[in-house]
Amino acid sequence: MDMTLDFSILGRFVDAFALGLWTTIKLTLLCIVLGTTLGFVVGLLRSGTNTVIRAVLGFYVELFRGTPVLIQLFWIFFCLPLILGVELSNFVSATIALTLYMGAITSETFRASLRSVGREQLDACVALGLPRRAQVMNVIMPQAVLRAAPTLLSNAISLFKESALVSAVGMADLMFIGQNISNNTARPVEVLTAVAAIYFVIAFPLTRVVTLLEQKLLRKFSA
Amino acid sequence: MEYQLDIGAVTRNMGPLFQGLWITLQLTLAANAIGIVAGFALALLTTSKPAVLRWPAMLFVEFFRCTPAIVQIVWFFYCVPMIFNVFWGPIFMGIVALGLNLTAFNAEAYRASIQAVPREHLDAGIALGLSPTQRILNIVLPQALRNSVPVLLTNGIGIFQQSALVAIVGVADLMYQGKTLATATYRPIETFTVVALMYFAISYPVGQFVNWLERRQSYT
Repeated sequence: MDMTLDFSILGRFVDAFALGLWTTIKLTLLCIVLGTTLGFVVGLLRSGTNTVIRAVLGFYVELFRGTPVLIQLFWIFFCLPLILGVELSNFVSATIALTLYMGAITSETFRASLRSVGREQLDACVALGLPRRAQVMNVIMPQAVLRAAPTLLSNAISLFKESALVSAVGMADLMFIGQNISNNTARPVEVLTAVAAIYFVIAFPLTRVVTLLEQKLLRKFSA
Repeated sequence: MEYQLDIGAVTRNMGPLFQGLWITLQLTLAANAIGIVAGFALALLTTSKPAVLRWPAMLFVEFFRCTPAIVQIVWFFYCVPMIFNVFWGPIFMGIVALGLNLTAFNAEAYRASIQAVPREHLDAGIALGLSPTQRILNIVLPQALRNSVPVLLTNGIGIFQQSALVAIVGVADLMYQGKTLATATYRPIETFTVVALMYFAISYPVGQFVNWLERRQSYT
């Protein structure tokens, strides 16, 4: 098969790509905020002492970590409306699914960082007679969040990549628009390569930031 | 809306689901075989001195780590036949696409554990007059392999889950069979729940095993 590449055709679709990218970014940012908040609460409760809450939340986290994101998305998209008996727009379905996923993975990040704050710090709090609230808010929390920062950013990058799955349930994100253009122009090589490049240009610098943050924290904590 | 649960709609049709699961397992195992072997070779390249070797290897790793897996798979299924003029079966295509993705992630895991091999061990190897190949095979490889087992397993389950993406390009894996069954029986709740539990029943025990392995390694 003789094939000539013509990347100039991409010029006609700049607006469409921008629209898709904007949907991807909007969805990702919204789910990062909602999911990280959920993850923080879940991580805190799972580090608590209530056995029932711990078991229920543990099941939630393992379920979302142990199944493909695609099936989570399909489940929320097809089954939740049937169960609730209400129509959900695909933006709402996608937001619910990705938020629950993000909540599950960030809760593990928070849990690990809570554990990494030394036991002796709590002992010191007790010795100083700090109230429980101050122990959590002023001593444990700032350190836990600081230590969690690089992993949280990694989680956010993962979410950005996983968000491309919403194209499978018909949401017009970057991937969906890219596939449409690719089918209509019969130029998959140019169009899909451009889509991959757009994701790369955003995700790659962020992974560098994660590396820098890790090194900075490592120096801070080893000093 | 009234929706009567009928789990029988799924249990009567387990045949196609198990066929799909078998394809999913084949994809997973074959992709892991590629990823474990090629990942190590790639890790050696990314840790090597000459820039001509290091840069392309690092670009490969970063490309796969920084783009969505679904973009990679769709790209692979549409573009590889056009660019290279080859027509492979869908399962083989799926294996190669997933295998390359896993290769990149495993290379990172190996790289971390290669760099964790103490400098003195290599110096000792030189002092003992071992050739570079001997040093890699007998000093670096055993330690790097042992240290990276938990991460390799985690990545392995990761690719088991990511393999569901091939359903989008029409490979008849577990996800694909589930989707077909849900549409054919109008039973999305029952079908997708059973399919999700099937994935979970495999990845959860492996995940617990990895946790156990990590705890054990951290004591030694």
